[in-house]
Amino acid sequence: MNTKPSIEMRAIHKIYPDGTVALRGVDFHLHPGEIVGLLGENGAGKTTLMKILSGLLRPTRGEIHVNGQPMHFRNPSDALQSGIGMVHQAFALVPPYTGLQNILLGQEAAGPLSLLQLEAAQKKVTALVGETGLMVPLDVPIELLPIGVQQRVEIVKTLYRGTSILILDEPTSALTPLEIPELFQFLKRLKESGKSIVFITHKLKEVLEISDRIVVLRNGEVMGEIPTAQATPEKLAEMMVGRAVVPRVGRAAKPVGDPVLTVHNLQVMSDTGTLAVKALSFEVRAGEIFGVAGVEGNGQSELVQALTGLRPLKSGEVALDHTGLEHPNPIEFYQQGICHIPEDKARFGLALNFDVAENSILSRQWEPDFLSGLDRLNWDNILAFARQLVDRFNVVTPGIRTVVRSLSGGNQQKLLVGRELSKQPRLVIAVHPTRGLDIASTVYIRELLVKMRDEGKGVLLISADLDEILELGDRIAVMYEGTFIGMGKADELSREEIGLMMGGIAPKGRTYANAQ
Amino acid sequence: MPTPNDQMPKQPSAISHQPSAIGHLPSAVRLPRLLPPALIESLVTILIGLVAGGLLMLPFGYNPLKAYQALFQGAFGSSTDIMETLAFATPLMLTAITFAVGVRAGLFNIGAEGQMYLGAVGAAFIAGALRLPPGLHGAAATVFAMLCGALWSVVPALLKVWRGVHEVISTIMFNWIAFNLSIYLAIYYLAEPGRAERTRPALETARYPILTEGTTLTAVILVAIAFCVAVYLYLWGTRAGYELRLVGENPEAARYAGVRAGNALLLSFLIGGLAAGLAGASQIIGRPPAWSLYATLGNVVTLGFDGLGVALVGRNHPIGGVFAAILFGALAHGGRYMEYHAGVISELVRAINGLIVLTLAVPEIWAMARRRLRR
Repeated sequence: MNTKPSIEMRAIHKIYPDGTVALRGVDFHLHPGEIVGLLGENGAGKTTLMKILSGLLRPTRGEIHVNGQPMHFRNPSDALQSGIGMVHQAFALVPPYTGLQNILLGQEAAGPLSLLQLEAAQKKVTALVGETGLMVPLDVPIELLPIGVQQRVEIVKTLYRGTSILILDEPTSALTPLEIPELFQFLKRLKESGKSIVFITHKLKEVLEISDRIVVLRNGEVMGEIPTAQATPEKLAEMMVGRAVVPRVGRAAKPVGDPVLTVHNLQVMSDTGTLAVKALSFEVRAGEIFGVAGVEGNGQSELVQALTGLRPLKSGEVALDHTGLEHPNPIEFYQQGICHIPEDKARFGLALNFDVAENSILSRQWEPDFLSGLDRLNWDNILAFARQLVDRFNVVTPGIRTVVRSLSGGNQQKLLVGRELSKQPRLVIAVHPTRGLDIASTVYIRELLVKMRDEGKGVLLISADLDEILELGDRIAVMYEGTFIGMGKADELSREEIGLMMGGIAPKGRTYANAQ
Repeated sequence: MPTPNDQMPKQPSAISHQPSAIGHLPSAVRLPRLLPPALIESLVTILIGLVAGGLLMLPFGYNPLKAYQALFQGAFGSSTDIMETLAFATPLMLTAITFAVGVRAGLFNIGAEGQMYLGAVGAAFIAGALRLPPGLHGAAATVFAMLCGALWSVVPALLKVWRGVHEVISTIMFNWIAFNLSIYLAIYYLAEPGRAERTRPALETARYPILTEGTTLTAVILVAIAFCVAVYLYLWGTRAGYELRLVGENPEAARYAGVRAGNALLLSFLIGGLAAGLAGASQIIGRPPAWSLYATLGNVVTLGFDGLGVALVGRNHPIGGVFAAILFGALAHGGRYMEYHAGVISELVRAINGLIVLTLAVPEIWAMARRRLRR
């Protein structure tokens, strides 16, 4: 690359007010028209570095130069003025507003009293959507859209503000496998038009596929910088975690047992009053991982909620070991031996402002082990249990009375997964269990799921990460528009076949009837 | 604020189990961590409040140091003054519970005022109209008053749980109904014969004993503190308390945990009603010289609303509320001395007190606002 860098960050240090050192002298530069992959585990400092570049955080020391000029961004608008925009992992969208209203937010009109130029804006947004190929529904409230679609709205929103440098924080973690190539195509198109892109990720395959250059961060320092053409997954993984990572999870070859979960003709309504799950029948047997792949928003959330007591069944039957379950209370389900790793840990599975000990009994607060007379909490047992969870599941935390919000995402998830798996369940329902986690935590959690399977428990795995499904699933079903468009044994299904099914094309001879 | 996975740890708050807003107070960050951050924060805000109040005095030509000296001496200068300060604090720590327990369950329950009126009416009825043996009489009046307060919270609670009626609206309406109902009951059913301006005074058998002659502090403060401690133990030490706080903290996680949110909300209202009822009783059978309810409600009015500020200063924590109430009591009682001895006019005394309270409440208001925005 011969052009001068448009962005130069020099010797950036960041020390948080509580003394945590996030960055220790990081140099980073970015040329026009290149895609840089910023690789690193959780806590490596990737997000902190990019928050500094996008004006959300101020560096403790260090300089930022834009086109050779030193800049001091006081806030994200300053950075936006320099054409730098960031799409965060947690989206800054107003839930009841439509896609269009969210995209226009803050840019609606010239002054406080001028009228909304909705029609013109809609044209502009529609043009932008057509140009980039990022399809977003403009007139549906954001809260009704799946996370993947919400992210697309975020990207369009950032582009609408005229950014020339787009920072994407773990953009694929919310996307379905089918959407990822779409995103990549569109990123390449943006690159050709001269925009630069920083792609924060910990997924080796993606960074190899999309980037021109890869910068690896570890523990707040740059561990290496390498043109993508010269990079190999092994090399990157080593730079990233400092040791070789083996992504395959071994498993015992055991015959599967009896059905643990039997679902017959299940129908479930969505929040919008449409039929989200349509006449679904399947079973999960003891000692198998039943993987459900599929583009998000095809009824997976509603299915899981129906199977965990969070949403009433419209019709059909759900039976655990042939005992029918009908009560809409989750505790009833837990008592029957179902444990649930929910799709959004911060929303459903944890109370972030509660401490580790309090979170270790969330959804288990009714269990006699944690109570003494008069329904008092048995703190001795709770603290001992929390300590044991933290030890057994490698949760890195300053203490068990530490507020969970201050743990990293990986450690939050390990706490949640540990809590659920230690329920001694008969059926594990895991939804996107490794979303947004670093490699080490991901491998660890996947191994735990396989261990549950080897111990003879049924595992229902719902994931938008096709690799995860392929890696873990004994049988795989693909969910499309509320039903299983196809189902089969893992070794009988090819990646391509699954991809087709996710797009709604059922291959001949693989209807789900013959896969039971 | 987005919360990505590698967000750095914030300071844990020891008292309130809430994220501390300490990052926004650079002056507090440098202090060694001998004290819980929330406490440091409160101490810093007290200082800021005093300085702000002092600045307010300057243009009027008062000497802030002299005025504060009078305030402090008035509030804590002698054992009698300390007792008086505590007497002022007693009802406030209870009405603070009403608001705090609401916030812990995710509610904005400002019904303490009306529930407290009903508690006062209930206490005045049992204490003035019934004849019971000593000890039992006081206990009966106390319990009945608490039940009256709780009963008054049931309708807003059920409206909330069944129909989703916002508690701010319903409790404000119920405060007004309680106000007029209490005046009606006081004048037409409970009035002292020949003296319609107040209810029949509590009989000796129903009165809480005065702790030190010459002050208005009675043993009811012990009941009040015991109640605050009990609420603390309940919220942090029982399954129901855990579930109540979980509903306030993250309603979706509560649903996931199998908690029936309606029960938790109802419970929060009821605890708040009991506290407010006890606050009302404390002014009838635990506060000389009136030992009765004035027909204008003059000796209880605004105690419920004041509790809101006390709760905020006390970080919506039952024990924090006790200390915050003592601070409020000190301002109320010591404020008189600021008037007498430093010659500060009473309007300004109230303005200064208001300013201090406002400053003190800022951290908790900020924390609550952030929690609300995060959803």
